[in-house]
Amino acid sequence: MSATHLTESAAVPIARPNSLLALVRRRPELITLALLVAICVAVSIINPAFLQPSSLVDIGRASVVMGLFALGVFIILAAGGIDVSFTAIAAFTMYSMTLLVKNHWPDAPIALVLVAATAGGALLGVVNGLLVHYLRVPSLIVTIGTQYLFRGILLAFIGTVWIMSLPPTMGAFGRLPLFQFESADGRTITLPFYFLVLPAAALVTWWMLNRTLMGRAIFAIGGNANVAERLGYSLRTIHIFMFAYAGALAGLAGIIHTAANRQSNPFDLVGTEINVIAAVVLGGARITGGTGTVIGTLLGVLLVVVVNSVLVMVGIPSTWQRVVVGGFILLAAAFFVFCQKKN
Amino acid sequence: MPRPDAATKVDALLELRDIHKRFGGVHALRGVGFTIEPGEAYHLLGENGCGKSTVIKIMSGAHAPDEGEIVLEGKVYHSLTAIQSLSAGIETVYQDLSLLPNLTVAENVALNEQLVASGGRLARLFDRTRLRATAAAALSTVGLPSDRGFLGTIVSDLPLAQRQLVAIARAIATKAKMVIMDEPTTSLTRREVDNLIAVVERLRSEGVAVLFVTHKLDECYRIGGHAIVFRDGQCVEQGPLANYTKDRLAELMTGRRIDAERYRTGAPMDGELFAASGLSLPPNVRDVSFSVRKGEILGITGLADSGRNELAMAIAGVMPATGGHLRLDGKVEKVRHPSEAIRLGIGYVPEDRLAEGLFLDKSIFENEIALVVRDLANGFGVVDKAKGRALADKLSQDMRLNTRNLDLPVGALSGGNQQRVLIGRWLSILPKLLVLHGPTVGVDVGSKDTIYRVIQQLAEAGMGLVIVSDDLPELLQNCDRILVMNNGRVVAEYDARETDEDQLYKAMLVSKPAVNTETAR
Repeated sequence: MSATHLTESAAVPIARPNSLLALVRRRPELITLALLVAICVAVSIINPAFLQPSSLVDIGRASVVMGLFALGVFIILAAGGIDVSFTAIAAFTMYSMTLLVKNHWPDAPIALVLVAATAGGALLGVVNGLLVHYLRVPSLIVTIGTQYLFRGILLAFIGTVWIMSLPPTMGAFGRLPLFQFESADGRTITLPFYFLVLPAAALVTWWMLNRTLMGRAIFAIGGNANVAERLGYSLRTIHIFMFAYAGALAGLAGIIHTAANRQSNPFDLVGTEINVIAAVVLGGARITGGTGTVIGTLLGVLLVVVVNSVLVMVGIPSTWQRVVVGGFILLAAAFFVFCQKKN
Repeated sequence: MPRPDAATKVDALLELRDIHKRFGGVHALRGVGFTIEPGEAYHLLGENGCGKSTVIKIMSGAHAPDEGEIVLEGKVYHSLTAIQSLSAGIETVYQDLSLLPNLTVAENVALNEQLVASGGRLARLFDRTRLRATAAAALSTVGLPSDRGFLGTIVSDLPLAQRQLVAIARAIATKAKMVIMDEPTTSLTRREVDNLIAVVERLRSEGVAVLFVTHKLDECYRIGGHAIVFRDGQCVEQGPLANYTKDRLAELMTGRRIDAERYRTGAPMDGELFAASGLSLPPNVRDVSFSVRKGEILGITGLADSGRNELAMAIAGVMPATGGHLRLDGKVEKVRHPSEAIRLGIGYVPEDRLAEGLFLDKSIFENEIALVVRDLANGFGVVDKAKGRALADKLSQDMRLNTRNLDLPVGALSGGNQQRVLIGRWLSILPKLLVLHGPTVGVDVGSKDTIYRVIQQLAEAGMGLVIVSDDLPELLQNCDRILVMNNGRVVAEYDARETDEDQLYKAMLVSKPAVNTETAR
């Protein structure tokens, strides 16, 4: 026998997950899910109208843009960074793209427009990635800078005028239904086709994070970037890729935002970053990096969207949304810390 | 990896030739060179700051040398990248373990195999089945469980000793040709060290070269092989370990003679200074009572899970005791927080000086005065710098720091000097009782000598000292009495002059016969 086996007594016995707390600690998104279910149940009791398909469709529709942003934010957060420039990237790509299509190629196929917006967002993301890598400045600072930069360039050089009528293909895409039905009160309820973009993006992101080396590398640098570098991970590749990926999602979100609202406003979106970051953190991703899941992120987004839409249904003024979301964030954070201490 | 068979000539695996490395003005390596042959064991010895870590980083691809050549399996390189080094089969177990705390055990052990196989390219699929298989094999080799539950455990949830084994498992998960181990045994118990040595034997029999960096000379002799001694960035001696005595090695490392005799020459004074009675902190500390006289040095030892660490922290208020009481100068006191201990005059030098003690990016001056900064401030809260400087100056002289520049950041000092800064800081509160927790962990021979001399001086001056340590020679050389803890209780007490390592070690294991027989294999 060449190796001694110490299994039965190797130092301290391993703490086995012994309780609900341990489970929650490993899967913090369960708390998000529990909160979500609790709110839905409470609201359905107070106002049964909430359970109608129409309100579910509303929630689904409202989640798309925020969900795409959140997936991007989640990836950067998982790698231990933070991104606040994604709204500026979205505004930049959506407005320039709309202007370009409207003025030069009104009949451009929508697929091409979507791809171009995504690519444009990725390109701006690469700028973020290069700056973060070569300046060796924390990504929060870099993306505050680029947020101003992208938005400034947009407003100074590209335009400040609202585009109220979209090019026909983009308008049509915004109206294209996935399915439609008549609600009880006779309104036509439509779940738009673009809703599919969110689950598709979530699936791709999940696959990338869990089934490719790049995905594991993102979590690795979120755990400890110096160690990851020592182990042979190329920080440059990871930085550029992850910011490009988040930028691509932001570009896509921007064009969908425009198509859904049937107008393009260059002043739009910027200012909503905290909302998105809040959703991601509520989904169980730690702000210090290295943790979180795609499903948790989606649950976090749903939670914020539901809170925003149901408060009105139970008669609480919409100005209270922030109080509620803020309270949830504090509660969830305190609970996560509590679980860690218990372990 | 094919075993080196007799038919093919065994070439050197790795050769360093005349390697130079400068960091700013510091000439860290001044023309070092050595050769690593397959299947051999090497011990890289030297004081902290002699260039050992730098040479490891050059071999593992983290640093590029300024001059010199690296010959890896016959090919000449000027510098290596991390991936080149790993692809060539050079694996490193770093002193800080270099684990990714947020990933699972399996990922920490086996993810790098896939990264290296892809040549560092990340646009590749990640194979989870292969990950688990590789990880399970490596884990069972180092004696850790390899079931799915353990594979999926997040590394930050593991105790330190297991993390150290996980780091070793990562190094042997790939088909390594050379494994560098930078102080791999610091947090292992003797039993785990035995297991590690068995693993090393096995690796060597498979033709893997092993390079140890350690301060524990006893372990070097147990493993055998070659000694490579560094001093001031130069390689001063190489040769079979058996050719050198321990004292000779210490002399080569420090450039001066160190006699590893008993440091303790004084004797305790009359009168009880401190007593703990019935101290409890379940489940780690149960009903512990002892007393310390003025000028006495009391040693406390035990296995890592014996409760010795928790006892030290309970005395200092870091982990307040839940039962029993403390008596200082005859008065019964409660210590519920470190600040209360400080007020009473109980100092605590923690085991992990980097995480719990020092502000690495702050200057020596700022570190030294950290505990008394409020006393140095006037009515407006402005700190009297001149007074602080004078104090810091005196403390660093008392502690025999090897620099006079108090504005130097502590992070730039060697481990031994850092430890002295930390002890110096506690002296600033003029403690009556000083608890030293692992005072020389990761400290080189020369610095150990200085620290021991300082400890003796403090005792001469009437201070009571408690040294909590698993370094048995350290306790035997420095203490008046030694308490052995086991399972949360004090199970034995010895006069340090009348006991030896074997007796202490037996007491550490006494109520764990199962462990004892297994180790005796």
